[in-house]
Amino acid sequence: MTGVLRSEWTKFRSAPGAVWLLVAVVAVTVAGGAATAATLRCPSTGCTGDPAEISLTGIQLSQAVVAIVAALMVGGEYRTNMIHTTLAATPQRIRMLIAKTAVVAGVVALAGAVAVPAGVLVGRPMLADRGLTLALSDAAVQRAAFGSVLYLVLIALLTVGVAVIARDAAAAIGVVLSLLYVFAILAQMVPDAELRENLREIAPMTAGLAIQATVDLASLPVSPWRGLAVLAAWAFGSLVVGGVLLKARDA
Amino acid sequence: MSEATIVVDGLRKRFGSTQALDGMTFTVQPGRITGFIGPNGAGKSTTMRVILGLDRPDSGAALVGGQPYRTLRRPLCHLGSLLDAAALQPSRTARNHLLWIAHSQGLGARRVDAVIEEAGLQGVARRAAGGFSLGMRQRLGIAMALLGDPPMLMLDEPFNGMDPEGIIWMRGFLRSLARQGRAVLVSSHLMSELQDAASQVVIVGRGRVLADTAVADLLRTSSSLEEAYLKLTRDAVEYRAANGTEAAR
Repeated sequence: MTGVLRSEWTKFRSAPGAVWLLVAVVAVTVAGGAATAATLRCPSTGCTGDPAEISLTGIQLSQAVVAIVAALMVGGEYRTNMIHTTLAATPQRIRMLIAKTAVVAGVVALAGAVAVPAGVLVGRPMLADRGLTLALSDAAVQRAAFGSVLYLVLIALLTVGVAVIARDAAAAIGVVLSLLYVFAILAQMVPDAELRENLREIAPMTAGLAIQATVDLASLPVSPWRGLAVLAAWAFGSLVVGGVLLKARDA
Repeated sequence: MSEATIVVDGLRKRFGSTQALDGMTFTVQPGRITGFIGPNGAGKSTTMRVILGLDRPDSGAALVGGQPYRTLRRPLCHLGSLLDAAALQPSRTARNHLLWIAHSQGLGARRVDAVIEEAGLQGVARRAAGGFSLGMRQRLGIAMALLGDPPMLMLDEPFNGMDPEGIIWMRGFLRSLARQGRAVLVSSHLMSELQDAASQVVIVGRGRVLADTAVADLLRTSSSLEEAYLKLTRDAVEYRAANGTEAAR
């Protein structure tokens, strides 16, 4: 297994642009949070809102970059037919998938572990100017931060699974972004209140981002950790389907 | 059975309405070059993909040193292969391409540098492989096939895109591999490329073996390898026509 892992790592670090995409994950996370904090409009009675969620708004954008990173790791091999070489070198296909998934998860976790604290630290003084306190010692804030890193990792896993199913990077990116954004928007448009809530509970993005909430938890469609578990279920499901197809199909 | 033998036994594989493999059966023995010859669409590449575990046959089996390829832990140390020289990420350097493959087999950079030299790629190893001519990519594919110092090699159309000098180099190179006792299977659709190199030929058409014989024996009944090949594959075409009439009945 170590050989396959090392192989996938070598592939990743020698892929053009891979490192820059990780830098982009950090930049977009920080910039997104800062822009949201800077443009926050508050009533004369003072700002209300969830400071942790605001400072981590950038995740909603950087998840798209994460999806691109993960989709290219898989889809790029299919576009070039390099997958044939990969599977000739590691004919145990599930082992290959596990190694690839582990490398993608690892690099995204690393990018997230830089991006999230950076986003919080940049957003914090901007929010303080508007009278919102982001307490770093608050357990809920720490959970939101740690959970946001996990959120990005789960988005990467979801995308790896979808890309293995689709065998095409562009298609995988399209499917994942639809699943994240379009599902969330459609859920918002449903007139029936109960159905709307139900959809928000199972939509990977709205459910998963519940992990960022630090105030007014009772109003959430799902509790933070349960919400992240919903996203994890999506990711796990796509990887299982991807694994079954990878094993069964001709390469 | 020798450890370095590739056995293809009764492979059948259908893609839609095409019977790509129709009972393909032959054995590749160590210490010689076995030419794998047939017209386009005869099932050469599909057979090789089945041997590598990339395609699953509908029935039949392929064994590499007595084992199915998919069960091998460091497969490139058993069977080195070159199937599609263009199947690489074009912006990765040749050396990095070989490096990730080496790592997957538990091999290191030293082995990579050794095969780079063997394949004559020293000058271009740190260039993006996407800029290589097809002939250079074939050499890169050869380097890859040699990484695990395997007792068996399988090369699909390795002469493709090679200039005359490259063809001569490749022939000599294949011969030296066989002299070292390795089993070498080389597909080609051009007889002239394999002339004087292969000692055994497996001639295929329509997904099955038409002839599996020593080159010396073929030359006893035909004036040249080419003539023998044309005679055999013409029969295959006639067989197809007869078969079609039968199906229509």
